[in-house]
Amino acid sequence: MRRFLAIGYWLLAVSLSALAQSNVNYSVRVGETKENTVLAEFPESYEGKKVNIRIQTVALTEDRAQTDSLDFVFADEEIEALGTWGEQVFAYTDEGETEWTVWRSKKEPKNRNQAVKVKNGRDSFEQYLQETLGTRANRGWIWWIFAGVIGIGVLIKSILTIRKRRAEKLLSSVEQETLHRMRMGNRRHYISQAYLWILLLVLYAPIALIVIYSFTDSKILGNWTGFSLELYANLFTGHADAGLNSAILNTVIIALIAAVSSTILGTLAAIGIYNMRARHRKAISFLNSVPMINPDIITGISLFLLFVALGVSQGLATVCIAHVVFCTPYVVLSVLPRLSRMNPNTYEAALDLGATPFQALRKVMLPELWPGMLSGFILALTLSVDDFGVTFFTKGSGGLETLSTFIYSDARKGGLTPELRPLFTIILLVMLTALIVINVRSNKKAKKEQKQ
Amino acid sequence: MSKILQIFSSRRTWAWPYVVFLVLFVVLPLIIVGVYALTDINGDFTLRNFAKFFSHSAAIQTFLYSVMIAVINTVICLLIGYPAAYIMAQAEFKTPAVMAMLFILPMWINFLLRTVATVELFNMCGLPLGEGALLFGLCYDYLPFMIYPIYNTLQKMDNSLVEAAQDLGASRWQSFWKVIVPLSMPGVYSGIVMVFMPTVSTFAIAELLTHNNIKLFGSLIQDYITTTDLLNYGAVLSLVLLIIIGLTSFFGDHGGSGEEKGGVV
Repeated sequence: MRRFLAIGYWLLAVSLSALAQSNVNYSVRVGETKENTVLAEFPESYEGKKVNIRIQTVALTEDRAQTDSLDFVFADEEIEALGTWGEQVFAYTDEGETEWTVWRSKKEPKNRNQAVKVKNGRDSFEQYLQETLGTRANRGWIWWIFAGVIGIGVLIKSILTIRKRRAEKLLSSVEQETLHRMRMGNRRHYISQAYLWILLLVLYAPIALIVIYSFTDSKILGNWTGFSLELYANLFTGHADAGLNSAILNTVIIALIAAVSSTILGTLAAIGIYNMRARHRKAISFLNSVPMINPDIITGISLFLLFVALGVSQGLATVCIAHVVFCTPYVVLSVLPRLSRMNPNTYEAALDLGATPFQALRKVMLPELWPGMLSGFILALTLSVDDFGVTFFTKGSGGLETLSTFIYSDARKGGLTPELRPLFTIILLVMLTALIVINVRSNKKAKKEQKQ
Repeated sequence: MSKILQIFSSRRTWAWPYVVFLVLFVVLPLIIVGVYALTDINGDFTLRNFAKFFSHSAAIQTFLYSVMIAVINTVICLLIGYPAAYIMAQAEFKTPAVMAMLFILPMWINFLLRTVATVELFNMCGLPLGEGALLFGLCYDYLPFMIYPIYNTLQKMDNSLVEAAQDLGASRWQSFWKVIVPLSMPGVYSGIVMVFMPTVSTFAIAELLTHNNIKLFGSLIQDYITTTDLLNYGAVLSLVLLIIIGLTSFFGDHGGSGEEKGGVV
């Protein structure tokens, strides 16, 4: 029975991969360069007769926001030229020039030659694709490898099981019965473990994709051009996109400013709140929880409107203030538990013995509070680095970009700056190491406590 | 100088800077959203913005669609996440800590980058972007927020209750439904709140996952707010979203014990 199951698995994997291979579409987004930003996509196979070019435009009128999309059938009809510029989309057909303006567009093409030109149907279009993108290798082998790995695993497993079963036939029937019962118990365990691992596999598939393609120098994700560490080199030698470099720098600056100020503000606030009367404490705790409950977009928009109403020009300062707004509550919450654990009289004792409040804070309270402050600080740092929504609304139009907003505008333009892949891999590794260290340490602690 | 020192020697006053900060940058902005919603472009009082929302069928449709997507996403996350949390909490050996860690790790990676990676995965596999991709991406982004609180409550649960139920003759199935599920409800509530709230207010993700084909309410608000002439109407839409958020967090407070909330960080 098991043997059949294993063979079935193997067949399933192989046929699935074959199916996947036959379904490979030439779906690309044209124009990876920043200048020729394109919203066009090619959903149909271009080896076939029909190629649909889809141009998506967004238009916002006074009372409705709408998304239009246009399909061009490309094999028979001739399209003179198709081009996009900035966030503006132009398409020229036989019927004459049609133009859609994308909302929020600022630039117009300087001349039409700068726009992507597609003439006389398929041949030149293919040429264009090859020139800009390079021929995209058939990705079928990826699926074969995938199937192969699964298949070999299943094969080994089933061979082992068969050998085990053969050995078991020598046992007495009672022993076989017990073994069977044990296995039924184990099966539940295996199924639940398999569920977790499959879930993890799906969760990590996109992440793995980026990590794998960080080791090739292809401009487009999904196009393997051989192993290379060039992207890593670019990232560290500053040869990456200038926008990316400044985005990384901005992210670090903002995160540090926000984390330091929210740690100071939050620690003082926590000490104050802890010593307040219950009624006041409740009110302020509620206020403190508001930025945590509010989704990014509400925090961002409300601050944006505040700055607009006050006439403040938005930039680095406003982003920092906004980050302090959503970071500080977490600092307060991580310092408060430390306060309730410490002896409340030591501070007063220090004052009685002649210390100034500042000295008492530094010499008596800080040594007790710093673990909470540290975890608050780290939390604030990660929250700030991770934030997109609030930054997006408060960064103003001065061209300030953080990593998040850079990725967003990059992705909207239809491509991902290649150097983001190694950056992402490094961040992932750092996070993984940090989590493992924390985990190992807390495990050790738990063991110690158990012994005691 | 000594007077100032005296004031600050009472530790109660140390919270004042933060209170001022909160009033300035949390309370005031929320009031200003209301003010903008109630005024027109010249700053005169008007109710036209609200009237516009109720006659603006496209916005209402987008709103209902977003709520629907958020509900579906929450249900999917619950259906996938609960068993995962349950299995992790049940395991008696050392793996669960590592497992839980692996589930939480993606949460610490920029969600936009994860979304872009999802889009690339779909592109690579030749799958079309659309509603399916949107739901997959949302679920992918927010599943850890569902698993973690449920896992936390399940892990803290007193196992002797389950044993007692089984000693009293309950089957595995019965003890699961009558003991474990009710006891894990606080975690489920906070999981629901933590998935539903960001999903209903999401923007940016939907654009990327559907190639601008599907617009969620968050993106709509973003569109209007960043257009100077339509800013006041955007404020009305934000208020609508705020109401939904308020209702949801009320549900969370009501359902959850409150103690379990915010456990994610």
